[in-house]
Amino acid sequence: MGQRVANASRHVTRRRVGRPGVRSRWALPTGFLLLALFSTGCAQAGATVQGEKVHGLYVVIAIMAAPIFIGVEGLLLWSVFRFRKRQRDGGLGPQTFGTTRALVIFFAIPSVIVATLFALGEQTLATVQKQDPSPVVIIRAEGFQWEWTFYYLNEGFVVSGKTLHVPALMVIPVDEPVKIQLHSRDVIHSFFVPAFLFKRDVIPGRTNTFTFTANKIGTFPAQCAEFCGLWHSKMTFIVKVVNSTDYTAWTEQQIKAVQSISCPPHGPALSIVAKDISWNTNCLAVRAGSPISISVTNRDAGIDHNFAIYDSFSQTKKFFQTGRFPGVSTRTDQLPPLPSGRYYFQCDVHGPSMSGVFIVGGK
Amino acid sequence: MAVTEARPAALAPRPAARLISWLTTTDHKKIGILYLVNSFIFFVIGGVFALLMRTELARPGTQIFHPNAYNQLFTLHGTLMIFLVIFPMLAGFGNYFVPLQIGALDMAFPRINALSFWLLPVGGLTILSGFLAQGGAAAAGWTSYVPLSVQGKAGQDLWTVGLLIVGTSSILGGINFIVTILRLRAPGMTMMRLPIFVWSILAQSLLVVLATPVLTAGLIMLFADRRLGTSFFDPTHGGNVLLWQHTFWFFAHPEVYILILAAWGAVSEILPVFSGKPLFGYPGVVLSFLMITALSFTVWAHHMFATGAVELPFFSITTEMISIPTGVLFFNWLATLWKGKIRLEPPMLFALGFIAMFLIGGIDGVWMASPAVDFAITDTYWVVAHIHYVLFGGTVFGIMAAMYYWFPKITGRMLSKRLGQWHFWLQFAGFNLTFFPMHVLGLRGMPRRIADYAPGRGWSFLNLVATAGAFLIAVSIAIFFDNVFVTLRKPRTASADPWGANTLEWATSSPPPPHNFDALPPIRSARPVFDARQAGLSLEGQP
Amino acid sequence: MSVAETTVDERAIRGTSGPILGMVLFVASEAMFFAAFFGAYFTIRAANHVWPPRGIPIPKLGLPAVATAMLVSSSFVLQAGVRAIRRGDAKSLERWLGITILLGAGFLVLQLRDYAHTGFSIHDGIYPSLFYVMTSLHMAHVFGGVLFLSLVFAQSRTGQLSMVRHEPVEAGAIYWHFVDAVWIGLFTVFYLLVQ
Repeated sequence: MGQRVANASRHVTRRRVGRPGVRSRWALPTGFLLLALFSTGCAQAGATVQGEKVHGLYVVIAIMAAPIFIGVEGLLLWSVFRFRKRQRDGGLGPQTFGTTRALVIFFAIPSVIVATLFALGEQTLATVQKQDPSPVVIIRAEGFQWEWTFYYLNEGFVVSGKTLHVPALMVIPVDEPVKIQLHSRDVIHSFFVPAFLFKRDVIPGRTNTFTFTANKIGTFPAQCAEFCGLWHSKMTFIVKVVNSTDYTAWTEQQIKAVQSISCPPHGPALSIVAKDISWNTNCLAVRAGSPISISVTNRDAGIDHNFAIYDSFSQTKKFFQTGRFPGVSTRTDQLPPLPSGRYYFQCDVHGPSMSGVFIVGGK
Repeated sequence: MAVTEARPAALAPRPAARLISWLTTTDHKKIGILYLVNSFIFFVIGGVFALLMRTELARPGTQIFHPNAYNQLFTLHGTLMIFLVIFPMLAGFGNYFVPLQIGALDMAFPRINALSFWLLPVGGLTILSGFLAQGGAAAAGWTSYVPLSVQGKAGQDLWTVGLLIVGTSSILGGINFIVTILRLRAPGMTMMRLPIFVWSILAQSLLVVLATPVLTAGLIMLFADRRLGTSFFDPTHGGNVLLWQHTFWFFAHPEVYILILAAWGAVSEILPVFSGKPLFGYPGVVLSFLMITALSFTVWAHHMFATGAVELPFFSITTEMISIPTGVLFFNWLATLWKGKIRLEPPMLFALGFIAMFLIGGIDGVWMASPAVDFAITDTYWVVAHIHYVLFGGTVFGIMAAMYYWFPKITGRMLSKRLGQWHFWLQFAGFNLTFFPMHVLGLRGMPRRIADYAPGRGWSFLNLVATAGAFLIAVSIAIFFDNVFVTLRKPRTASADPWGANTLEWATSSPPPPHNFDALPPIRSARPVFDARQAGLSLEGQP
Repeated sequence: MSVAETTVDERAIRGTSGPILGMVLFVASEAMFFAAFFGAYFTIRAANHVWPPRGIPIPKLGLPAVATAMLVSSSFVLQAGVRAIRRGDAKSLERWLGITILLGAGFLVLQLRDYAHTGFSIHDGIYPSLFYVMTSLHMAHVFGGVLFLSLVFAQSRTGQLSMVRHEPVEAGAIYWHFVDAVWIGLFTVFYLLVQ
């Protein structure tokens, strides 16, 4: 009985054997086209030399995946329509258990695809991973909950944002290799610029470095991509790619901006408030020689801050440092006498993002 | 009807006695039902969490949830769905059907079986009780990366302890399955005649037994770092942050296969039945299961490509190699359908939906297996799309196929075909509306696990679509529950073998008697019930 | 009913018994558990040039060496018990079991004494973290083994074990040898592979 059923269905298939062939002749190219459109339409093309390579690999995988996707879904739909049980049919299909030859083919096809994919992937990976030996700009990017700080190591200045309010801005020159060194002050973060088609984790106790060359001028939103706690969603930053003239102008302006910070001296009792992981001022000033007290108020519940005075953000010399203390609370300390000059203060927990100029003026 | 009259006392015991019989049962069928009921309860809780998240994300800006609440929601959504819904659901089907399919009276260790089950709600409630703790429930994601998870409040401890309990439950369950399958098979049931679902449970149990203890070790280190002052993960005291990720993913990648193997098994069981054909390439399917089981221990660090601290080519090639046995499964499924006599009953609809959707989940994993592309799309919504195409489009569709397929065996009642079709098409539409746009969101750079996003990034409309889809899924699930509850009030009319199926569970009454079988048909192939039907043998001793 | 060629009650028991297979699988699972800790140990050790790190005194061999000798010899003693019950000699089994339990308990006492002499606390960095967590988890396993063997001892005293039925002894021995093997690993990494 089973034999007769098998014969019957073989007969039916032979009669219509031309149709799937015809259909697949136009279905496949259309599918390629649709998927290629999809991948270029939705995937960003990459704003760096490396990113363009990644995009290329993405499209190649899309083109390899297209026939698999269309083939399997097509066969599935075809089987359902073509082999759907009709009322007059017998109960069973042909009792075919599969042959070893079929299995060998089944294993061989994906093996070939995998080998090709791996080879192509490794080529692109080599480009992305290659570190440029002579980067023009070197930036130490520091992540903490929930802000970024960028140290321009060659130029000698620092930029950061105002946590939860103003994203940090990283400006880089177009067509020049840039090196990024990643550091974390607390938990794991991830440095992610979607337009560069790249991210790298920022890991406590480990320095990750990579280089890239931006090749499109523009402003690119970016943000932390590794979940890092309460305000993870607000840990954004902006990458601005500019031409070399604009870049030089910007760096000079950054250096000047710090130099021009100034404020009149306050009385013998200074006070400063930390809220939303920012100080309420970027400038404190006192007269030299008089005893000074400083009261530090921490309004961030459950978050540690402290107050410290150094010669500069590179912290070669430390003049004063309080212990870390959690909010909400206030502590008051006596400052040691300091010679006249411009100093740098910061919260050591959060670094230059919470910093300012400490001016000791003449008598 | 006749049955009801014959055993009136057995069917209407006092409620208290009935409750106690469920609490103290060691019958694998009752424990299987407990697993399923427990899983569906957590499924509703985890699903509500998902709806709340989608509601918040429907528009840019913060509407209803402070990030603190949102972070707890997505952490517990992932944790519950993985550890208390999908795995126990599959284990529930395994509990009910492995002994039946191999012609056994019960599991090898019935009391340990009861213990494995009862540890589950205890662990689940421990995790959920975080909502009552100061600072709320765990909020470090289901992956609980250190040092963030070391910072967490008491809810994180409850999460850790809860998972230790759930892990212990699954290890005991896994041992039980393996011993049952290797030792309690009926005469004639050789390994290569095992129903394919039993093979999938065997492979899954091997993974559970060998991978879960590694999570247990990691959880103990996490707990010790949080509460005992150790420094396993603290780099300032000689520890290593990435140690957690290695430990976690060494467990959690096999876990992904733990979460889908039995669904593959169920689908491989259902497709032949509703195609009127044997499973094409049975040895190939078995070989694929075993290859995947072995390979899954070599791929964990592909979750860590972006850390810049792992051997990229090695983990890339092992990951891509997984697509070889997976591809074989697809070929075999398609060849099973080919020239069949396909009956589009609800179990078959869901099984076909499973193939269609799991294919997408598999293909979009290929991009991530290539490290260069992974750098761009990891930790974005692409990953969220991928995991849901595998675990929802794959496993949940597979679970639903199994529900419609085995419901008559478990309850003696057929679920409504019409409602089943509504359920399928709405779930199919809702699922794709929710998760397909997430691929695009990922390509447009939307990171996962963000409580909020800014307008003007090309994310807003797609998020709105995803939210609409999520509610459509909710409607489809409501139809399913309606179908179940309405059907449960109907009389038991299902025959022993309503689908014309192949395996031994259909050789006994629906539902089976406490001792499972009055008699077994001869077992001379992987399809003893099919053979008996073809030979014209009666299976139930009734007309 | 005509289909019944065999009934479920007639099946024969083949190969290794279920409880023994269950214990083998449990031990495999436990092996992965300790392997994770050994993996952690070697990951961290590979990143440290000085081991134990500065400030951590090098552990003394005395007590732990005695403890090791006790635990290793207890495995042989227990195996003598297994051979005895395979012959059906419950009296000898009880004697060997008793010695095994005493050696296991003695190991635990010596280990706890050793904790008092390490010269570092669990808060003192990564080496103490590894040392205390790994050895105390092992001690918990030895304690569990002592309890299990005590139950087997009680079973034997009440005449429940025989030449035919002595699976608890075999299963207990598998577990005990495993715990012993883990200790040899721990002893090697914490007491021998220093400097």
